[in-house]
Amino acid sequence: MLHISGLTAGYHGGTVLHGVDVEVPPGTVHAVVGHNGAGKSTLVHTVAGLLRPTSGTVRLDAVDLTGRRAHQVARAGVGLVPQGRRVFAGLTVAEHLRLAHRPRAQAGRRGTAWTPERVLGLLPRLAERRTNRGAQLSGGEQQMLALARALLGSPRVLLLDEPTEGLAPVIVEQIQGLIRTLADEGVASLLMSPSAALARACADTVTVLTSGAVAARFDGDEVRADPAALDRTLALTPTE
Amino acid sequence: MGVLDAQLVPAVDGVAYGLLLFVVSAGLSLAFGTAGVLNLAHGTLYAIGAATGAELSDGTWGGLLLGLLAGTAAAGGAGALLAAAAEPLARRGHLAQALLTFGLALIGGNLLTAVFGSDELPVRVPGALDTSVSLLGHRYPAYRLVFIVMAVLLAAFGTWVLTRTRAGAAVRAAADDPQMLAATGISPRLVHTGVLMAAGALAGAAGVLGAPIIGPGPSTAETVLMLSLVVVVLGGLRSLWGTLLAAIAVGEVQTLGVSLAPDLAPYLLMAAMAGALILRPQRATAAPEPTHPEQPPARRTPALRTPSAATKANKGAQAIKGRSAAALSRIAALPRILDGTPAPVRRLTPLVLLLALLAAAPWMVDAYTLSLAGYALALGLVAVSSTVLTGYAGLPVLGQTAPFAVGAYVTAIAADEGFATVGPVQLALAGAAAALFALLTGPAVIRARGVTVLMITLAIGELTRTAVAQMTSVTGGTDGFFGFPATRPLWGAEPLGDEVGTYQYVLTAAAAVLVTTVLVLRSRAGQLLTGARSAEARMRASGHPVSRYLLLAYIGGGALAGVGGSLLVVAQSYVSPADVGFEIAALAMLAAVIGGTTSVAGTLLGVALIVGTRDWLSGAWPGHGPLLLGALFVVSVYVLPRGLAGIRMPMPGVTARSVPPPPPASAPSRETVS
Repeated sequence: MLHISGLTAGYHGGTVLHGVDVEVPPGTVHAVVGHNGAGKSTLVHTVAGLLRPTSGTVRLDAVDLTGRRAHQVARAGVGLVPQGRRVFAGLTVAEHLRLAHRPRAQAGRRGTAWTPERVLGLLPRLAERRTNRGAQLSGGEQQMLALARALLGSPRVLLLDEPTEGLAPVIVEQIQGLIRTLADEGVASLLMSPSAALARACADTVTVLTSGAVAARFDGDEVRADPAALDRTLALTPTE
Repeated sequence: MGVLDAQLVPAVDGVAYGLLLFVVSAGLSLAFGTAGVLNLAHGTLYAIGAATGAELSDGTWGGLLLGLLAGTAAAGGAGALLAAAAEPLARRGHLAQALLTFGLALIGGNLLTAVFGSDELPVRVPGALDTSVSLLGHRYPAYRLVFIVMAVLLAAFGTWVLTRTRAGAAVRAAADDPQMLAATGISPRLVHTGVLMAAGALAGAAGVLGAPIIGPGPSTAETVLMLSLVVVVLGGLRSLWGTLLAAIAVGEVQTLGVSLAPDLAPYLLMAAMAGALILRPQRATAAPEPTHPEQPPARRTPALRTPSAATKANKGAQAIKGRSAAALSRIAALPRILDGTPAPVRRLTPLVLLLALLAAAPWMVDAYTLSLAGYALALGLVAVSSTVLTGYAGLPVLGQTAPFAVGAYVTAIAADEGFATVGPVQLALAGAAAALFALLTGPAVIRARGVTVLMITLAIGELTRTAVAQMTSVTGGTDGFFGFPATRPLWGAEPLGDEVGTYQYVLTAAAAVLVTTVLVLRSRAGQLLTGARSAEARMRASGHPVSRYLLLAYIGGGALAGVGGSLLVVAQSYVSPADVGFEIAALAMLAAVIGGTTSVAGTLLGVALIVGTRDWLSGAWPGHGPLLLGALFVVSVYVLPRGLAGIRMPMPGVTARSVPPPPPASAPSRETVS
């Protein structure tokens, strides 16, 4: 279970996140919805160890990850699928898989091990593009590759920062399905989304982030039962 | 056929020389492209290998093998030390790291001399190879042929590691996006250390094996560094094949070129380099942005390719908002600022105080110190030109010695010809010639950003020095140029004779130029440059021809350095290639960094500190000048992150309108749009 409590962080002395609390139980999807500038990417970067928090804690079960370096956080079981995919432009798909695959990461870990074969079984499109470089892939393929790269570290929690940004509707649906499939297999997700639609489609819990603070929290079924509830909250929150 | 036949031996030599350069340059290029470290100690790593190899070579295979192991290990270890030393400066950017490696190179060179002596070391190749074989009817040294084979194996092995292994993939990923590599569970810091270590080991191995080709001696490190730098600039960064081709070409110029056209060979290298700089596709050698582990991936170009580019750029801009907002708001508020007279006066105060102190110097110090001060003022103008370009225009230049050399030699030659012996004419001539030089070389410089600028300007400076040293008939070559008539400070005045008169002339000219410089920087021009540096994309988007501003700044900086060159000639009555070498360029840049990269007075104090260390302190400890100077480099980059300006007490009431000092000593970053 990922515990984020009282997380405060920012850049160059300016504070972006103001004491954010989020919990992601195993096998669940927690969506954080907020407008541009609400602090979603800052939250992801801080949890992933790319940005040091000024206060608050990040824990994965009993392990304190607060202020750890990005590679230590990744090794502790947090996978990052960043905004804009950020696949390695010069590396082929096969090289991505080889680089990201850490067989030792599974030792003593619950859940099943992720191997390149298993990832390619889940994302067959990548198998066809094995020899293509990151820069030669379409946006959807890059998103698949970013997901594959994160999965090969056998994470317990995935951080997904706007994973459907700029993708065709059919791919968006596919990714929503993947997030649910992974949750059923025990991989929890902390999902950042500017729109309510993605959260409605696959979240167990939804948090609305406004100006770096938690403005509201919904149960996933609640949001699906009353689709307008989330939209109303978002419309009421200032967009800065 | 006859020509081909006669040139076979130098042509094969060229291949051996080229392969040697390839192995060395590949390491330099890798450290530069992956870890973002412009390793100016790379030649020293080669020298470590060469000296170790020579020391252990005893004419047996065992000696060669032992030398290879020891030399590779020693240079690899030195590479790891470099990585450890550069790591704490990673967030401060490429310039601080480059200066650090230069300081370490000075220290390393001094230690090598202390251990191995200052003579060229004899190298004994294994007996079986110490013979010549028949090559298409020519006698050819067997060792060189074996070396070619070994270099090919070494290069092939390196290429295999880089392109076919997981470690190689990690290296390429680290060059592309170190943050994402970290998020994949691999420490980019570990990769950087590994790369510098491997680069060191490669250079060390090349040094041991190549010792019979570029032997260990006092100038080895510099020769190897400069040639590999030329190779990296020619070959571009991203392609090993490009590096290989460039290395062979440089090797052939150094051997076949010298054999075919001994008079033209030095210029061939320069011409090839100039051609490559002008013809190379935009940003072909663009280096990775400086990476800040604790900053958001704000300025990453790939992110801008996504459909939400505008959003992303907006978010990314938050990171640099602090710095650029002030600059932009000042540009917006220009009329108000230009109306206010107190600001320029306040800005001038430290400089005026310093100049007043300098004017009093003739009554305070002895003649030797006075001549040193005159020299320091000439060097000061070069340093200030580095400050203008680095701190304001955001172009970290390591080649301001080139316009400095142009100004110096134009002054000396014009005086010798009796063409210009009056001070103002000399100054105008030197400034104009240096400005013209900058106009010609500028387009290659202003297209690049960050650490690539360091590399390109360094190459321009070094090639200029080489050209000066080679044009013996015009410049006096390495013996230097002297015997020209003394300058007359004004029309009808007596020629300068004594130290005091010379000093006063130099000080007057320098003061006029420096005050002008500060006033220009204080005016709209300075604001525009600050805006172009801190928010290039936004300046372009608001209709500012940023490239033109940068070119003008580069020309202005060139003229400034050229005037410095003219004053150098007057101060010394002598000029030689050593006065315009790379070390001087590094000193000028260090002075700018010590001064805080935006302060003219601070830069001058930096020069005083450097000249004092080099020419005073080293007198107390003979033979260790480079060591002391190197230590000054190392201490300065560690201890003065913001330069002398950083330890200045904030003055109440002044801060409200003054620009927040940019992080000095770092190659200032720009927003980039792909």
